[in-house]
Amino acid sequence: MATSSTTTTSSVYIRVIEDVISKVREEFVNGPGENVLTELQGLWEVKMMQAGVVFGIDRSSSASKQPTPGITPVHDLNVPYEGTDEYETPTAEILFPPTPLQTPIQTPLPGSTPLPGSTPLPGSTPLPGNTPLPGTADSSIYNIPTGSSDYPTPGSDSGGNTDVKGGNGRPSPYMPPPPSPWMNQRPPLSVDVNVAYVEGRDEADRGTSHQPLTQDFFTMSSGKRKRDDFPPQYQNGGLNNIPQQDGAGDATSEVSQKSDFPGMKIPQLDGPIPEPYDDELSTPNIYNYQGVVSEDYNIVNTPAPNDLQASTPAVAQNDVLEDDEDEPLNENDDDDFDDMEQGDELNTQHLVLAQFDKVTRTKSRWKCTLKDGIMRINNKDILFNKATGEFDF
Amino acid sequence: MCLTDTLDEMVQNGTLTPDLAIQVLVQFDKSMTEALETQVKSKVSIKGHLHTYRFCDNVWTFILQNALFKSEECQETVGRVKIVACDSKLLSQ
Repeated sequence: MATSSTTTTSSVYIRVIEDVISKVREEFVNGPGENVLTELQGLWEVKMMQAGVVFGIDRSSSASKQPTPGITPVHDLNVPYEGTDEYETPTAEILFPPTPLQTPIQTPLPGSTPLPGSTPLPGSTPLPGNTPLPGTADSSIYNIPTGSSDYPTPGSDSGGNTDVKGGNGRPSPYMPPPPSPWMNQRPPLSVDVNVAYVEGRDEADRGTSHQPLTQDFFTMSSGKRKRDDFPPQYQNGGLNNIPQQDGAGDATSEVSQKSDFPGMKIPQLDGPIPEPYDDELSTPNIYNYQGVVSEDYNIVNTPAPNDLQASTPAVAQNDVLEDDEDEPLNENDDDDFDDMEQGDELNTQHLVLAQFDKVTRTKSRWKCTLKDGIMRINNKDILFNKATGEFDF
Repeated sequence: MCLTDTLDEMVQNGTLTPDLAIQVLVQFDKSMTEALETQVKSKVSIKGHLHTYRFCDNVWTFILQNALFKSEECQETVGRVKIVACDSKLLSQ
């Protein structure tokens, strides 16, 4: 069945190649020479065979298909090629595994991002977050602990990374207690890692460095949409969250104050830290759980400054995102278009090239007649003299 | 594609002049069209959900979803396929 069609296709291609070669021979003889033509033919045929559309080539007789031996080698050629294609996909997958491996690193980055609080702050630039930033000295101190805090988290828990991603709860617990202990303990532990991060951050403003990271992260996960959404989320969240943001801002400033007012610090710290985590966490969470309920968020936030906040806010953000998605039609449209475009690109795998005789439409029913076309479908080339199409739109 | 790749390669190698490459391509178009007209007799029917249609510069482009291709010899289904067709009357001129 298929074989017959492919063999005829193959023979047609071979004849076309020979026809072309013979008809341009004159030009070559007068120009670069016939050996160049031979090279051209050889390369062309090899590529056709590699593409799997032409099987063994007998230059002597185009009509005779191919000797069995010829076919076998061809198949061999095809297999490797398919293999390569497959490899590509796996390669990406393979890459992904490393990504997870790196994920810890990335996680810390995002984590670090949030920790700095500065990250969310920059993101929240419009929000109160900025307010806290003003204190440079405070921020510098703040960053160090932050980076350290992230690392300790993974270090302390074997599944630290996992926790960071999926479990909002853990980070939050860390968040509240750390304030006083972190300052002392963590910096030493994570020093190396922190140093790297710190350097980057120091060179560029934290906000700047963080934003790029955040963007990358977002990009990795899905699309621009989320990035865009975040600001709205903040805004929306800001309405609800106002207290939290205030807490965060206070916290940053208070962080410096920690020594002065321990009692005050705890609630404040919780407020700020959770927010960064929320941002980070929200990103992954959004991907994983878009459907989560948002209502909890407000409730939880209001009462819970401590552990619950981190997780709760994340959920809330997710919900918020959903709301946002509904609101900004453009973003959704873009994503759809992107998908479409990607689909189109993929479609080049399945492509029909032809001439049309006529195309008619009756309401949503389209009919077209095509002729002299080539179809590349499911990695098979099919030639047709005539084709009729009936589509419903 | 194979031919254009080959020609590109050879032009970049300097073994072929662009002019000559174009001539080869033109000849290929002629030969391919002729081969399709004279050597191919198969008929195909296509059915599917039309996702997108476009008619620009006398070229129809259809994007079909869940398309079913039937010919005498084989039957193929494709989740998404793009059909590009130019006007047969223009080509013959």
